This record gives sequence, C-alpha cells and structure tokens, in this order.
Amino acid sequence: MTRQELNAQKLATEARETILKTHTRRHFLKESAMGLGALAMGSLFGCGSRKAEPTAALFDPARPLFPKSPPFAAKAKSVIFVHLAGAPSQFETFDYKPELAKMDGQDCPPSFLEGKQFAFITGVPKMLGPQASFARYGQSGAWVSENLPYLSKVVDRISFLKAVTTDQFNHAPAQLLMHTGSARLGRPSLGSWATYGLGTDNQNLPGFVVLTSGGSFPDAGKSVWGSGFLPSVYQGVQCRSEGDPVLFIKDPEGMSRDLRKASIDAINQANMLEYETYNDPEILSRISQYEMAYRMQITAPEVMNINDEPQYILDMYGTQPGKPCFANNVLLARKLVEKGVRFVQLFDWGWDAHGNVASNALNVGILDKYRSVDQPVTALLLDLEQRGLLDETLVIWAGEFGRTPMMENRNGIQNPYKGRDHHTEAFTIWMAGGGIKKGVTYGETDEIGYTAVSGKVDAFDVQATILNQLGFNHEEFTYPFQGRPFRLTDVAGKVIRDIIA
Amino acid sequence: MKRLLRPGISTIVVVLSAAMLVLVPLVRQNRKVDFSAEIKPILNKKCISCHGGVKAQGGFSVLFREEALAVTGSGRPAIIPGDPENSEMVKRILSDDPEERMPYRHEPLSEDEIGIIKRWIRQGAEWGDHWAYLPVKETPAPRMSSNWIKSDIDRFVYAKLKKEQLTPSPEADKFTLLRRVSLDLTGMYPGNTIARKFLESNDEHAYEALVDSLLASGRFGEKWAGMWLDLSRYADTKGYESDGGRQIWRYRDWLIKAFNDDMPYDEFITGQIAGDLLPAATDEQYIATAFSRNTMTNDEGGTDNEEFRIAAVMDRVNTTWEALMSTTFACVQCHSHPYDPFRHEEYYRFMAFFNNPRDEDIPADYPLLREFRNDTLKQHFAELMTWIRQHGSEQEARKFDSFVRTWQPSVNMVSADSLENALVINKNVALAFSNHARARLKNVDMENAGQMVWNYFSNTKNGTLKIRMDSPDGPVLASVAIQPVNKWRKEFIGFPRQEGIHDIYLTYDNPSLPAKSDGFYLTFDWVGFLPAVPEATAEAGNYRKMFQDLVTTNDVTTTPVMMENPGWMKRKTQVFDRGNRLLASKTVEPAVPRSLSFPMPEGTPANRLGLARWLTDKRNPLVSRTMANRMWEQLFGTGIVETLEDMGTQGMAPTHRELLDHLSWRFMNDFKWSTKALLKAMVMSATYRQDPRISNELAEKDPSNKWYARGPRLRLSAEQIRDQALSISGLMSDKMYGPSVMPWQPPGIWLSPYNRADWKNSSGEDQYRRALYTYWKRTAPYPSMLTFDGMPRVLCAARRIRTNTPLQALVTLNDSAYLDMARHFAARMKEEGGPDLTGQLKKGYAIATYRPLQENKLKVFEALYRKAYAEFSRDTLRTKQMLGGPDKPSDARSAALVVVANAMMNLDELIMK
Repeated sequence: MTRQELNAQKLATEARETILKTHTRRHFLKESAMGLGALAMGSLFGCGSRKAEPTAALFDPARPLFPKSPPFAAKAKSVIFVHLAGAPSQFETFDYKPELAKMDGQDCPPSFLEGKQFAFITGVPKMLGPQASFARYGQSGAWVSENLPYLSKVVDRISFLKAVTTDQFNHAPAQLLMHTGSARLGRPSLGSWATYGLGTDNQNLPGFVVLTSGGSFPDAGKSVWGSGFLPSVYQGVQCRSEGDPVLFIKDPEGMSRDLRKASIDAINQANMLEYETYNDPEILSRISQYEMAYRMQITAPEVMNINDEPQYILDMYGTQPGKPCFANNVLLARKLVEKGVRFVQLFDWGWDAHGNVASNALNVGILDKYRSVDQPVTALLLDLEQRGLLDETLVIWAGEFGRTPMMENRNGIQNPYKGRDHHTEAFTIWMAGGGIKKGVTYGETDEIGYTAVSGKVDAFDVQATILNQLGFNHEEFTYPFQGRPFRLTDVAGKVIRDIIA
Repeated sequence: MKRLLRPGISTIVVVLSAAMLVLVPLVRQNRKVDFSAEIKPILNKKCISCHGGVKAQGGFSVLFREEALAVTGSGRPAIIPGDPENSEMVKRILSDDPEERMPYRHEPLSEDEIGIIKRWIRQGAEWGDHWAYLPVKETPAPRMSSNWIKSDIDRFVYAKLKKEQLTPSPEADKFTLLRRVSLDLTGMYPGNTIARKFLESNDEHAYEALVDSLLASGRFGEKWAGMWLDLSRYADTKGYESDGGRQIWRYRDWLIKAFNDDMPYDEFITGQIAGDLLPAATDEQYIATAFSRNTMTNDEGGTDNEEFRIAAVMDRVNTTWEALMSTTFACVQCHSHPYDPFRHEEYYRFMAFFNNPRDEDIPADYPLLREFRNDTLKQHFAELMTWIRQHGSEQEARKFDSFVRTWQPSVNMVSADSLENALVINKNVALAFSNHARARLKNVDMENAGQMVWNYFSNTKNGTLKIRMDSPDGPVLASVAIQPVNKWRKEFIGFPRQEGIHDIYLTYDNPSLPAKSDGFYLTFDWVGFLPAVPEATAEAGNYRKMFQDLVTTNDVTTTPVMMENPGWMKRKTQVFDRGNRLLASKTVEPAVPRSLSFPMPEGTPANRLGLARWLTDKRNPLVSRTMANRMWEQLFGTGIVETLEDMGTQGMAPTHRELLDHLSWRFMNDFKWSTKALLKAMVMSATYRQDPRISNELAEKDPSNKWYARGPRLRLSAEQIRDQALSISGLMSDKMYGPSVMPWQPPGIWLSPYNRADWKNSSGEDQYRRALYTYWKRTAPYPSMLTFDGMPRVLCAARRIRTNTPLQALVTLNDSAYLDMARHFAARMKEEGGPDLTGQLKKGYAIATYRPLQENKLKVFEALYRKAYAEFSRDTLRTKQMLGGPDKPSDARSAALVVVANAMMNLDELIMK
C-alpha cells in the first residue's frame, strides 16, 4: 500500500468512527432524554476537538481529562516512551569504543574504581571490549552495532544523546528518577504530568497508557506510571495484551452489549431523577462518566486489537498475534497515538546484562532482546512517518542507566558469561520525531566510554526537553503540594536545545 | 426596651459611619500592621522565591527578621526599621529602571501593597507569628441565636453564614441522616436493629442514641484505623524493587483497638512515637511504634543499606510533621524553609530523635517484636524472667527480657568490617565467609557478657569458628566446631564472663578446604552478646534450656518495631548540606524547632519520649488543631483548613479559624483528648445534620459548600464503596483483626521482578472482609481501590482528592468481585422482598439506601428488569453465566434481577453519601 492509499484508508476509518460516535451519542441522548437533563448532559459531552483556554486552574474534577492547550506552541502532540528496563549496554548498541577493545581482558585501572560505587563489582574487575562490531550509517554517519540492523537504516531520523548521566546506580531508583524526577517513590510520572497539563484528545480512551513486556513489570513497579501527588485520574492506565485490555473493560459473562447499554441507560435515568432532587452537578458529571465508560468499552478493545491491521503492517513490526510481546506493544502504541492518546509508555523488562546467568549475558540472552526490539522500533518510526504522525509524535528510547566498560565480577568472582555492571557516568538514549532534529549525535564520552566528556545531560534535561516539545516551560509547569509548587524537574533540568529542530 | 434601643443604635451607627469616613485614612496610617495577615502574604507571593530559603539574591532574604535586617550584598541593609524612605527595599520596589525595579521582571507591587510595606517598616518592621504556630486559646462561641442552632459549633457557622448572607438548611430526613452518620462514624451500614430503632422512633433523642451506638460499635475503630493507614503509610510490603512481603498487621490491629477503646489522642500519639521507651513497655506499646516502621526497606541487590536507612529516618521525620502537625517539614531537609520559620539545621536536630533506632534497612526488617503465640511459651517466659530476677541483677533481667522479645541488641553482620576472605553478599544481604576468613565487630559492649547468640547458615564439614577479642590474633573467647546443617539456625556459644567494650573478631578456618577458594562456607545474619543464664542452683540448666527454646522458637508473630540503640551502638546525627548525605557536616543533638513558640516541657529526656511529651503538651499549637481539622474533613469532606498537609503560611487560610480553635481547645481540655467526644460534638451539630440539597442560590453563591449552608454530599471512599457493597449483598464478614486478606483481583496485577510472590485468593469469609484488611502491595495496590483514589501508601498522605472517572464506573459495573456481590444482593431482594417484582425492587432499594423507592425510579428498574428478562428467557447460556456458571439453574427471573442489582449498586445515591 502506498502512503496515499494508507491515508485514504485512515480517512475512511475515521469517517466510520465519526458516524458511529455521533450515532452512539444521539442514541444516548434520545434514550436518556428527560427534559432538562438531556440538555445538561449535552453540554457535558465535550467534543474531542474542543480546546480550552490555557488557565491557571488546570484541574477540574468534573472533566479532568478534557483537552487543554499548553502555554507555548507545542511541537509534539503525543509521546511514545520506550523504556528498556534493566538498562541496555551502550557499548553493544551505539557508543563505539575501539580503544576499549584494546584493553579487553586487562585489569581495570584503579582510577576507574577509586571512590566509585557499583552495584555488584567488587575488587578489581577486568575490562571488557565491545561485544559487537560497528559501522556508520546514513548521511549522518551514526555508529550502530550489528545488533540493530533495522535501526541502522533509520538513523537519519534520530537524535542520539551519547553522554547521558544519572546519580542512581540501582534499577528502581534510577527508573523512578527517569520517569518522575525523583529516585524515591511518590512523585508523578512524565505521562501523568503530560495528561494533567494537556488532557487528552480522545475521551473514549485513557490519556496515559502503559504497555509492558518482557515478563515482569519494571523494577520500580507501577510507581513509574503513578500519579504521585497529582489526582489519581492522571495515573497511567495499564493496557494488557492478555486478559482484559483495560481492567474491568469487559462486560460480565452473560451481559450482552444491549443489556449493558440498557442498564447504563437505567442508571443514568435514575441518576437524572436524583439530580432533579439534589441539583448537584457532580451527578451530571457521573452520568457523563458512565457514558464515557460505555464508549471506552467499545473503543479500547477495538484499538487494542492488532488483528485488524493489514498484513504488511504486522510484518513490518514483526508482531506475534495472541502473545504478549514487545512488537505487539509497539504497534499498539502507534494505534493509540493515532487515536488521540496523549502519552504511551512502554516498558520492556530483561535488559539487565550482568552475565551471571545465560539469559542476561551480552553474548547469549541479550542478543534475543536486541532482535525483539530492533525491527518493531524501526517500524514504529517508519509507520508514524508514513502516516504523517512522526512530526507530532515524540519517540524516546532509553534505559535507566548505562553499563560499565568493565566485565562484572559479582562478589569478587568473574561472572560466568559476558556481562557488565550498572554504570551511572555515561549512557546513550535517543529521541526522534516531535520536533527533534534529524540525524544528530549530541554528546561524547571518553575513549573507553567510561565518562561523559561533552554534551553531558541527565534525566532532568531529558524531562525538560520532553515538556518543552509538549509546549511547557518545565520551570513554570507546577502543581501545589505540601505547601509548595512541585515540578517534574525539581530544581534542575535544562532543555537540550542542540537537538531541537 | 428593645423598641427604645433600636432607633438609638441606628443613630449611633449612622454617626459612627460618618465619622469613619473622615477617620479611615488617618486610622489606616496609624493602625498597627499585622505581619502574618498583611505582610507575610506579600513576601511569600512576591519576594521569597528569590529572597528566602535557598536563594538569597543580592544577599537579601526575607525569611527571618535578622536576615532581612542584615547587611546585603550592596553593603547596606535593605530594611531600616522606622525609615522606609531610606530602606533599599522600598527604593527598589519604587524604582523606574526595569533592571532595578523589584520584583525583578515581574508585575510591580500595587499601591496598596507598597503602602502597607512602608507603614510596616515605619512601625519597626516587626516579624510576627503565623496563626497556626501560636498556642490554641479557649475560644467561646459568638453569641448567636436561631432556632436552627443546636450547639456551639453552629454558632460559629451561623455567624459566618449571616456574614455571607446565606441561610442554613433544615435537618435532613432520617434516611439521609442514618446513611450519612453510619458511613461517617463506622464506614459502613449499621446493623438492622440499630437502623430500625432509629427509623421507627419518634423520640427526640433517637439521633443521639443512634450516634452513641455507632460510636460504641466495633466497626468504629475499623473505619478510623483505615484513615490512619494513609497517614502512617501502612502497607504489607516493603516497597522498592522486589517489594517483598512484610508482617506488620499487628499495628493495624493496634489502631483498631485504640480507636475502639477511645484511647486519648495524647496517649495514642505517645505510643506511636515512643511506646518502646515507656517504662516496662508492653507488647502493645512496642507494636504502636510500628507507626515509624512502615517506612520502606530496600532489598534490591547492590544497594547501600545506610542510604536507605537514612531515607527511612527522613520519612519518619516528614511523616511525624505531616500527619501529626500538618506541616511540610521535608523542604527543610535541603535548606531553611522558604515560607515557614524552620531552619535547615533544625531539620537535622529533629531528625536526631529518629536516628537511633536499631533498624538498618536489613531485608528481615530487624528489630522485630516476637509475640509468643501459645500460652506455654508465654508462661515459660514469665517463669524464666522470675528466675532471672531472683538470681541475677535487674540489669541482667532487662537484657534477657529484651533479647527474648526482640533478639536485640545484636549486630547485623552486614555491618562488620576488616573483612578478610569474606564479603557482604550483594553488598546488603548477609556476611559470607570463605576459608581462613575474618571479620571485625567494632566496639562491642562485653560488660558482663557470657554467651554469644548467633543466627547463621553453614552446610560445610570440619570448619571451626573462633571468637577473639581486641585483635585478629587476640585472646580466644571460644572456639566451636561447626556442624553442617542445611538451614539457618540460632545457636549459643558460652564463654567466661567479660568486662568493658571490645572489638570482636570472628574467624573461620577449615583444614579440609583449599586455602584459596571462591566458595562460601559460613554465612552470618546477626550475632548478639548476653550475660550467661545465672548458674545459681541445680535448676539452672532447665532455665538455660527454656531461654534457648524461647529465643529459637518460630511460634511467634513478629512485627517490626522501634527500639533504641544501646549507648555503644549510638549513631551521631549530622547536618547534610543541601540534603545530601554525602555532604555531612556539623554534628547535632536532638531538639525541636525554636520557632514554634514553646520549648520542650521541663525535665523531658532528649529522646523520642521527650518528643512525644512535646507533641502532646497543650501548648503545642499544631497537634490538636491538626486532629480537629482532620476529623472535620472526614465528616464534611473539606477541612476548616483545606490543606490538611499544610497549615503553614503556604497552606490555605482557615474558613472558620475561631471554630477550629474552639474545637481544638475543647478536644484537649473538655474532652480530655477523646476522639469519640470530639466526633460526637461534630455529628450532633445542626451544621452536620443539614439537608444536602443544593438550592439554586447556593449553587451560585457557595458551590463548594465552604460556608456550610447545606449538608455534605460526598463520594464514598474506596474502602466505603467496597464495604457498602459487601453490606448490602449480605456478604460482609464481621471477623475483626488479623493478617491481611486477598479478595478476588484479576490475574497479572503482580509482576515484580525477583519476587515470586503470588496473589492467592483468600477463601471462605476472608474473601469478604472489610476493605481495610485487603493486602496492600506498594508497587501494585489492589486495583479497584486504587481507581477510587486509594493511596499507594508509599509516603504519608494527609488527604485524598476525590475524582470522578469512567474507570470507576467500570469497576462497579464489571469487576467480578462486584458482580459476585450483585448476585448475592439480588438473592436478598428475592428472599426478603416477597413474591412479586415490585416488592423485591422496593426491598432492594431499601436495603441499599434505607429509603423508599420513588415511583418514577421504580419504573426505570422495572423496565430494565423486563428487558433483561426478555433477553434471558431466550438465552439459557447467558442466563447461567449471569447467575455464575454452567452449573447454575437457567432461571431468567433471577438473572434479570442480578442485572438490576448490578445497576442499583451503581446509582449515584450509593456512590455518594
């Protein structure tokens, strides 16, 4: 299918949906019509395109997810954040270090160890050369390893940040720092901030969706998509590829759609009578929430079903229908963003390449991890692009920290497989789309990739940049809590101007 | 008299008003400026973000008076008391140069604001205290009379209503009152007898009788304990990465009992802050201190125990302030409070109170209180203690008492140093020995020690452990051959009585192993040193055995508790620059902030017990206000100070400050800290008992019900939603106390890495326990409760913000747990509602709301029933599914009733109270 055909198809689907939506809505209005109530409800429906004026009072409990305009012109409308939980190695992906290869097998010089903290390395470890070969790709000449053959073809769409640092060398705190701006539990995550500030364009879907793969949640658990002190409505909603796509979205067994419709109508009719007695606007809000719930029951399973995608798209992503896997989640992310979801967070667990067992060895289990993400992530960029969505969708690829140029010697003993310990002083992440420069590499590490030497950035800078692309000044985007205005970036963060188009 | 007076008053008023018109400007010029009400808000809003706390641009800070009057970067003070014209602050505010004018590059101050600041400087630039930091004074109710008024509370409310030109609402009908007060006081529905008695009584005291029986109900304690779980961030797991389980439910039991017994609030707080330090602390008093042990423990491999121990200590400080004193102290961790008068160093002085318990972020959560589960053990313990008191010293008795109950004091072996051929597994799990291994325990108190108790693992033959003193080759206290056993065990090694403080070296050698080896042969958890059991009589052996059995038995319930380090283990507390523990500087001693207008009461110790005395001293301005405000919020939905987390200058202003002081004073004095008495005073008021209907006038003038011209109408809490559904379906278990339970939740909610723990659905009545008994996993809390704004309970949460979302509708519509309840609810309608549908629907509605079903709503449900019935009578499969599965009868009527029951449970009148 050509791009034009694709767009035509997209338009057709949209038209179909609009008809369905209008129909459903009219249907509701007709059936629940009870004088004044119907009018009041009509005013609460809120169309997807409606934009409110940016105001200081951001939180309206009655319609907390209504779309809002950011204070500044936004480059990106939505975000897809791909987090490889466990932290992939920069040495086997993007940060090519031939000098490190020369040191392979030598004792680690004491200067790399003194005063440093590692999670598992004890005593004097050996240096470990890159476990992959590298080449330069695209017009930008970006270095990519043999582990990511698909991605190597799209480097000209990407900005690489090669000198990212963190101060957390354990998974859970480092993941929290990356997503909530604090290494401790209790702060709102990026997606919560985004939906708090912007609402979401499709009221029939959650505004902040989380998809996990790899057999385990990220180490920090659901707190990495928690809403912290923001109202709970802004927490990420986990969508699942097994079981109900959204918790409790499926009608109970025996309840037909018709009957569910009839019972929601009954509830709303009775509630409208209650409203006539109490005059409490909260009741009207409840009525509209029940209608939204009904519509979400239709929309969410639809959008969460990848089987209606054409075969060439499924092939492009390398999906495995019916199985929970990363490729399926990436395709879902595209579908969700296309349907107006504000923030899609993906976590893929299993990147913690210590080399203490085969499954997490750089030369064994981790090779499968590369294969499982390379094709789908590449497809995501191309697919968004062919739909004209890449310009307004910010895609981020990151781990929570990097890996050591030394081979891990857990408890002082050389690990049985090739593996690296957690490393805070340099790692690579990349961003693409959403107003980010194309084909740029920003930041540099020293010749063995131990330390950032130029273009050093941290999680706060990344967060500031994401918020910037969404139309916020991260220093002014705050929420009052415990007597002071809190912001995602706490007291730090600088927008990384060099990668902004 | 009245007639005569009236014209007189009017005349006076007219004359006075005329006079005021002339006098106002003059009066204004001279009236004393109120710092808290007039100056502080301007400083906070316009100045402090650059001139206070961390930032002191140009060397100028307006946080404390001495800072504000000090010489600034320009070499001159910015404020000269008495001389506004020459004060740089005023000059800069008035400047025309945009680079000079303050606030820098922001909107200028208004004429009024400038006028006030000048006047304030002229009057001497005095600082003042924020209202909430001043002691609570007895505050009599204003004189008001109206038939509506029932109590002093109403007089305060009525006065404000009059001022706002609003009229209060009449008393709500009995059904509304019954539901409201039951849900508010007990969190659930009353028993049928209590309800009937109230609804059918015409006695004017029927409402009071209802209130009294609710206050006396065991359910009362469960509801209020539930509230306290958010404050104490109670959870059944330890948090962080692997988020493993923790047994701390005895603390929840303690809370329930304390609320039910109406334990005075001062005692309630003292127990939680310092129960362990009370003389001859009981098990219950120890358990109360679990309040501070609900902090997280980080088991993630490779993490630094000290880092997370400090995080837990800071959390205790922050929670103590936020939960008990509505103050956000966490800011002071990094710098002096930008808005409130707390200095950076004061944070660490306060932290010093909490910095010396034994806990060290050890995965096992030591120290644990061990409560013997069976009476024989309890009796043996009593006998042992009697015998030791008879034959040993009181000091020895205390040591044995502590050790049997807590295994303390003992040294967590991960803190050993001078390691040789030894290492701490994953840097925080346990200490492991290879061959020819050695570790040092520094500065151990060996005074009167005669035995070592240790918890260890070794399944290797031929090894020998030696205990040496003072140096690696110092005198050998004991040498024991290690028997290989494939499990962790506690053993006792005796040695001659010792004196003084010593370094202890533990060594391990095994001639049958290679000298250099990568393997680990002996792993330590902890070691403790104790006196020998007195060898007084021939029976000593029996008592020694009794002691050993009591220490090793697993037939105990354990709870993490607070326990102070003995002198030799004491930690020093240092100030962390910018909150960074790696930048530790000045050492500080425990103290409370100076600025809170009263010091520690005389003669109190500088420890947590002293702190508890300070908190519960009637001069403490925050503790009673915080609790009175919180109780009000629980009943009315909004606090008198809306920001329960912060009564400081950044919090919201109280709507009824005098009422809050009145209640706080009475709470401490008239009610002697009785929570039940305070609540009763509130629910007996006319203010509380008002009709909740919103008139058009109120909708316009006071939509958020700030002035209380109507009764509260609020969404139920996550717990109440579940408890209510359990009540009306008749499933609710009345079992109280005990470990957390796992009611049905969808599969796949728990997927923590490195943690194979599973959600195992509880069976029997444990499926239907009150919501507060639900197992709470921090990184994956019970999903349906989270959807209704339940808190993850990671940090202290002073209040919940109520939201209204479609995901909530999906829970009560579709969650299997709720469908199960709907089935039982439908069965009840059928059983109790008579043979015909109308009777059943009416009964159902009455069960759910206590209220008769309106005719037009009845029609709605009848129509739904008919539609459902028509569908089910054509579809056997669906009918059976709706009733619970293929083995169920194909009964279309029952299935249709389940659909109606499910709808009823989603009515606004059930979701709201």
